[in-house]
Amino acid sequence: MKKIFIIIPAYNEENNIIKVIDDVKNVNTDFQIVVVDDCSTDNTYQLANKSNIIALRHIVNRGQGAALKTGTEYAIMKGADIIVHFDADRQFLAGEIKDVVKSILNNQADIVFGSRFMDKKSDIPWLKKNIIMPLARLVNKLFFKVTLSDPQAGFRAFSTNAYKKLEWQQDGMAHCSEIMHNAFRSDLRTKEVPITVIYRDFGQKFSGGFKILKDMFIGKFTR
Amino acid sequence: MFTQQIIGLIVITYFLIRLYLQKKQKQINANEFYFWLVFWMIAALAVVFLKQIDLLVRNLGFSASGIDVLLYLAVVMLFYFIFRMRIRMANMEKDITKVVRAIATKEKNDGM
Repeated sequence: MKKIFIIIPAYNEENNIIKVIDDVKNVNTDFQIVVVDDCSTDNTYQLANKSNIIALRHIVNRGQGAALKTGTEYAIMKGADIIVHFDADRQFLAGEIKDVVKSILNNQADIVFGSRFMDKKSDIPWLKKNIIMPLARLVNKLFFKVTLSDPQAGFRAFSTNAYKKLEWQQDGMAHCSEIMHNAFRSDLRTKEVPITVIYRDFGQKFSGGFKILKDMFIGKFTR
Repeated sequence: MFTQQIIGLIVITYFLIRLYLQKKQKQINANEFYFWLVFWMIAALAVVFLKQIDLLVRNLGFSASGIDVLLYLAVVMLFYFIFRMRIRMANMEKDITKVVRAIATKEKNDGM
């Protein structure tokens, strides 16, 4: 049986973390859950650590991309076959993990991205749906040759073998674009599946998009 | 060629040699190397074709004098140093992340 690791980066999520862990456990008890606490100032780490899962802790806040990489590399070290990236703020549905990993289990894809813009209905804020996302989609297509319907898909799964080609360097939110870019410029088989997103806050703002572009640009010149 | 142009070219040659050595010692990556190579080549061309640039600037209706050129160069140099600092900071941030990641994994493996 394939070993599936669910990586959950968390920053100040004491109100959500237990619920997210329970939701994922309820889907499949064989899932290995890794929570990476990114130096929260609340009790996120303590709560995760008591939940009979793997809890890692960053001693300095390094960003979501860094936390995901910590969890991913730890999972690979522990023999993972498939890695799933899942948010700690309860905006994704744990029940949809099986839809995201299905194509990898069937050997039809190496990486699968969840999309808010396919069949399933997500209550996406108007500004995000009609202005920010179309612009982000255009930037992805023009600069990174990425043709996904969801330009900021945080719910994704990939095989351990694919990680070498996907390995991202961005510590912040730009990791999302970098993973997509790396997937599309390699020979990996990519797929998109519909997912539901429940918005509890606005999330990435317009200014965040500029920061992502700036980080990607600077990243081109770093070691 | 004016003496100022020769001095300018000597300065650019110094930076090009420095750039080459930095690349050889793997202090900068290929992208950064090519960026600064193109940057200094354009600067060298600007110094060589200073007369033509002066003429072009005058034809465009601007009054350009030596001090203006020095000011422009100073701004370019400041841009260069700020950019270099930003890259250095980004590299340091990356190193910090590596250390933080190693500690997180070690803590778990040691059962802390």
